[in-house]
Amino acid sequence: MNPVLGKIVEGTEIPTQQRTPDAIDLFTFSASAWLLHRIHYDLPFTTEVDGHPGLLVHGPLQGTYMIQAVQWWLGTSAEMQSISYRHSSPAYLGDSLTCGGTVTAVDSDAGTFTADLWVKKTDGSEGNEGEEIVTTSGVATFRLPTS
Amino acid sequence: MGLLTDEARAWANEPFAPYEVTISATDIARYARAIGETDPIFYDAEAARAAGHRNVVAPPYFPYTIRMQAANLRDRSDLEPDGSSSEDVPPVETTRAMAGETKIEMGVPIAAGDTITLEKRIVDLYEKSGRSGDLVFVVQEFRFTNQDGALVMREEFTRIYR
Repeated sequence: MNPVLGKIVEGTEIPTQQRTPDAIDLFTFSASAWLLHRIHYDLPFTTEVDGHPGLLVHGPLQGTYMIQAVQWWLGTSAEMQSISYRHSSPAYLGDSLTCGGTVTAVDSDAGTFTADLWVKKTDGSEGNEGEEIVTTSGVATFRLPTS
Repeated sequence: MGLLTDEARAWANEPFAPYEVTISATDIARYARAIGETDPIFYDAEAARAAGHRNVVAPPYFPYTIRMQAANLRDRSDLEPDGSSSEDVPPVETTRAMAGETKIEMGVPIAAGDTITLEKRIVDLYEKSGRSGDLVFVVQEFRFTNQDGALVMREEFTRIYR
């Protein structure tokens, strides 16, 4: 069995990563995918037409942060087999995001583990200061190399 | 209810032409830089080979960039005013789109030089009454295969219109 997998048990916390995407991060993510949706770069459109308070952090970028929470912990040899996620609250440019998760199952024979993953932000709105809001959450399964 | 007309149902059954693209090391590097990766397997062929890959390898969710490019890399007349692809918008009387659930199963990794074929279809189209009115759900399936016919990734993405 992979020696790292031996140390991962149900309940193991995935070390958290702080991610605060700035305008360059939003631009390069859109550019790398030829993603043209205005809500990620056109502030007047986003506020006046779409009614958001700011530019939106891409949902798939947050999905990527969840994958990276695992791969930046165990290395890129930890191979993702599946992930599913959904968004529960928007994340905006300038939000400080925290990404982490918890291992929910380990299959030593298959060399895999499954984890609940999440991206959270700290609410800055009046009256709710400091309250944590989940922006994206999901479940993923990873396989570790046998040697 | 009643947003789903015969026209909308017919739209959901229209086939999409497969999209084929050969992936360069530069395509991979752009995405890897965009998401803040530092591992040399994404940038350096020698480092990737030392880790058991055929060439510079792509991060897991790289195929997302292929499906966005397939939808958006086209004439401006094929785009909505908000910049999204008209091809993906169902003919229903709604004003706003939101992202719903994403489900992904991974196959073999993409390496630079691979030719990837994307097949896209609508696997479900339904409506529901929500608190803020009627909602239309469009579930798209994206299947990515490589030049050997091996599955690279299968993604199911739900877009919600209200």
